[in-house]
Amino acid sequence: MTTRFTAVLDALIRQRGVRASLVVSATDGIAIDSNLQIGQDGSRVAALSASLYRKARRSATAAGFGATGFMQLEAESGRLCLIGGDELVLVVVAERDANVGMIRVEMLRSAEALA
Amino acid sequence: MIKTSVEPWIETPLRAFVLDAGVQLALLLHPSGQVLAQHGFVRAVDVMSACALAAAIHASSSELGRQLEGKPFRGLHAGTGRQIFLAEAETARGPYIFLTVFDQDSSLGLVRMYFEELQTNLASAAPPPVGPQGPVLSANFEGELNRNLAELFGRP
Amino acid sequence: MADDVRSWSDELARDPASLVFLPLAEALRRQGQLDLARKVATRGLERHPHNPEAHDLLARVHADRGDLQDAFDEWDMVLRLLPGHVGAIKGMAFVRFQQGAHEEAERLLVQAQGIGEDADISAAIDTVRRSSGVVVSVESLPPDLPSDPHLLFAGLLTNDQTAMLLTKDGLVLAGAYYAADGRDVAQDVGASLSGVSDEAFRATRHLGIGAWRSIIFEAEEAVVSLSPARGALADGGMLVLAGAPATPLGLLRRLLDRCLTRVEAWLKAGGGTGLA
Repeated sequence: MTTRFTAVLDALIRQRGVRASLVVSATDGIAIDSNLQIGQDGSRVAALSASLYRKARRSATAAGFGATGFMQLEAESGRLCLIGGDELVLVVVAERDANVGMIRVEMLRSAEALA
Repeated sequence: MIKTSVEPWIETPLRAFVLDAGVQLALLLHPSGQVLAQHGFVRAVDVMSACALAAAIHASSSELGRQLEGKPFRGLHAGTGRQIFLAEAETARGPYIFLTVFDQDSSLGLVRMYFEELQTNLASAAPPPVGPQGPVLSANFEGELNRNLAELFGRP
Repeated sequence: MADDVRSWSDELARDPASLVFLPLAEALRRQGQLDLARKVATRGLERHPHNPEAHDLLARVHADRGDLQDAFDEWDMVLRLLPGHVGAIKGMAFVRFQQGAHEEAERLLVQAQGIGEDADISAAIDTVRRSSGVVVSVESLPPDLPSDPHLLFAGLLTNDQTAMLLTKDGLVLAGAYYAADGRDVAQDVGASLSGVSDEAFRATRHLGIGAWRSIIFEAEEAVVSLSPARGALADGGMLVLAGAPATPLGLLRRLLDRCLTRVEAWLKAGGGTGLA
């Protein structure tokens, strides 16, 4: 099934080191569309990334930093990249050594599709 | 003093769920409507009505699912600001009904994710059933319910 | 000097809008002709009301005349026109010190030090502390680590970057965060951001991608990075580093590593235990 997000998610999953790309409901933490490599648990990624996204956005606003754009969580063996608006979040799960610069550029470009 | 659960083995998994998922209310009950554990309720009467409603919704939605799809619906969600999630948790002692209420501090995704953990934890913590479970008679039910509520809320 | 004063005076007479009033008033101030210096500076400001150097000059003239509050107000104006003007902050600190407000004087000096390394400022801070009876024990800290926790990241960051170290409870342990109006809002910012580390911990735990190393987010007003503290604060402590929105993410990452290394050394040396 093709959705309006399919092309965006396909472009992201083609980036080197990307394991999953998803469009997630920011408030519900439920995946709306996803492109996952084997072994990736889409519902888990959706729930956790939406929660992190909401918390970081709220905190940034409370701290006076204003609206947030691209976000990245870096861990020992992977990364979570997020960008979105009030309702939808574009999520990428990538390996630690993925080219985060390229992923960021692609996500910034793709973010318009979420609007 | 308000206790969390009537049966001690439920206490730890339920507390973990409440903390992790960040929910406001949680209720575990027998499909008959008897309360087994609660979190967040302050009045016995609220638990009693929540149990009755949850048991009724579970029974009717399960039957609706059976008729429409040949199997009971698993997991019911409703609301936007304040939301409820109702689902069945299978244990060695048979199925239980789980009801939780949450707001924007949590999300349906998180509640579902931690409910999976709760199911696993309940299943592994549940002691084997003691003897055959008899039918729930109306008189027994009333007595059991009141006993459980008194246990949870510390009232006679 | 007398020739200079004459030639600047002539030029100003020819062209009243000329900026030559700045060196002229400064020369008069140095010669002790304070009334004349004030008159020249005030007239110059009538033509150039948004010139921060002119306000700074008038503030110094006021200070020399002993009109401390007028001096403070002029330096305050400088900061409105040019936030981060070290001279103005130092001047305000001087006024507050003279007025006996040692705590505020110290806060201003610390703020000035955070903007640019300056031996004079360090000496001034020591003077203020000695005057206010605060004894700082620095014996346990290596000489390259600042004794004042507010200055832990001094020298690592430029004036559009700031960093602070938070405890697990979101309390500020070291560093500072100054708002545009000069207030230290580290505690407010720290409290707002502290819950993010819990979310990061949760996400990495459930996704099986190992311990979290950092979160970077680009916001309208700043690029912000958060990182778990190492060593003694590993259990929930967090470093917050913020830079101007245009700060490259790679640079921010590198600065974060440097700040973390300093935090580690500071904690190892007993920083944050009440000794520093």
